[in-house]
Amino acid sequence: MFTSAKYVLNENYQNFHRIVSISKYELLAEMRESKLGVFWNFANPAIQVLTYWFVFGYVFNRKDVHDIPYLVWMLGGMVVWFFISPCITDGCNSVYRKVNVITKMKFPVSILPMTVVLEKMFDQFCLFIIMIVIFATQGYYPDLHWLGLIYYLFCAIVFSVSLSLTTSVLNMLARDTRKLILACMRLLLYLTPILWNIERVGQGKVSKIIMCNPIYYLVQGYRDCFFYHRGFAAYGWSMAWFWGITLALFFFGSYMMYKFKTRFIDMI
Amino acid sequence: MERETAIQFKDVSKIYKLKRKDKEVSKDQKTQYFYALKDISFEVKKGQVLGILGTNGSGKSTMALVLSGIASPDEGEIVVNGEQALVAINTGLNKELTGLENIELKGALLGLPKKKIKEITDGVIEFAEIGDFLYQPVKKYSSGMKSRLGFSINLCLDPDILIIDEALSVGDKGFAKKCLARMNELKEDGKTIIFISHSLPQVREFCDTAMWLEGGKMKEYGAIEEVCDHYAEYIEHYHTLTKAEKKAEREEKFKERIIKNRKVSWIDRLFG
Repeated sequence: MFTSAKYVLNENYQNFHRIVSISKYELLAEMRESKLGVFWNFANPAIQVLTYWFVFGYVFNRKDVHDIPYLVWMLGGMVVWFFISPCITDGCNSVYRKVNVITKMKFPVSILPMTVVLEKMFDQFCLFIIMIVIFATQGYYPDLHWLGLIYYLFCAIVFSVSLSLTTSVLNMLARDTRKLILACMRLLLYLTPILWNIERVGQGKVSKIIMCNPIYYLVQGYRDCFFYHRGFAAYGWSMAWFWGITLALFFFGSYMMYKFKTRFIDMI
Repeated sequence: MERETAIQFKDVSKIYKLKRKDKEVSKDQKTQYFYALKDISFEVKKGQVLGILGTNGSGKSTMALVLSGIASPDEGEIVVNGEQALVAINTGLNKELTGLENIELKGALLGLPKKKIKEITDGVIEFAEIGDFLYQPVKKYSSGMKSRLGFSINLCLDPDILIIDEALSVGDKGFAKKCLARMNELKEDGKTIIFISHSLPQVREFCDTAMWLEGGKMKEYGAIEEVCDHYAEYIEHYHTLTKAEKKAEREEKFKERIIKNRKVSWIDRLFG
């Protein structure tokens, strides 16, 4: 168990340059494909935010949440979703899409989920810029509390890498995994309190179940840094739960990676 | 002088699973297991240049994968001293990126540190003869150019054991000659090289020992001249056969490689 975790950590650490180069050129190649290139990295999330705001903020006319304008409140949680959702769906595919590389050369497979996450970090920063602009128009400016975002971003990275370690191996065993994940993610967007406030479902069992979702911890954390400023300690139980799940996923994912590291070629 | 062992195979077998998706066969015939390599034992010394010969489907490429550590054997044991690298020509090139960017990308994929990539860049550009196309995206390259670029990056690697699978079939004669020259340099540096090819003249010229694979089994292993002569004889004999005889021989070989009644635990079945 620990050997495999150590193996994965060591491989990721030793191949750091490889990870950075792969992500960099993957991004670059994607930009070269289109004429407008980096414009789409900004336009895509902006259009998506506008859609959600139009449907929920304008058509359904959602009220301000805790005196925070709906668009701003929604965006505060949506930001992390726009990071973690592509990380999970693409992370699942990370090994499979590099199949022609891993079957043709000796390659540390366990770094692949990390390359995907790093790639998505770029989009996350693009979205951050958009968000800062929108926040500024509504009178919310960056302050010291925003430094907490670094911690929550770190959480998001560790979580998506841990989950992708598991799902990417499962996806090699059966391609159905990716289809399942895609379906789940669509569902999860509405099951996670991103577009609606958790207080709307009351204090009962339903709210407890929803709070079990590790992504909720991240959404809550982002919003805390932006608006509520309660600090990390206010979410102690969520934090313990989140790290418990993440570590379990990490150990399981590493174990799978370690077990199948020379078997991938037989799976295609 | 007794040289150290670089690679040792002990009764190595590699088994592939064949699955029929059509419905015409009965259930137990649907999944068959097949020896891609069967009971292979041999030893390669450090600095040895080994040529692996064999007809199509005799297990040469599987051999390359097992030798390079990409695939692990199902039975038997492999001992390797040193680091192996398989020369993969077109792998890892991204067609949207320019030649120069691809050198960096492929270098990184192969695990070279930043400094080393900078060092080899000029050498690769010169060796690959891509000239003005360096700043063009690879999708504009001719296929020969692409292969030359990929191959050149590979040759700048510095592993202890180099495995080359059918690589010299890329490019024109001039380029093949250049590659052979470069490989001879590596040979003189005392690298262990395993050269997989079905081109007899190249193997004869370049290697000092040879192995002949046939139907997943090792038919002969020894000095270059002997094995090559026997192989040439066999090829000639094979060509004199009529179509029906050829087919019969192929089927005979295939049948020998099928494993009957292989017991597989449910967990392997699930993950297979």
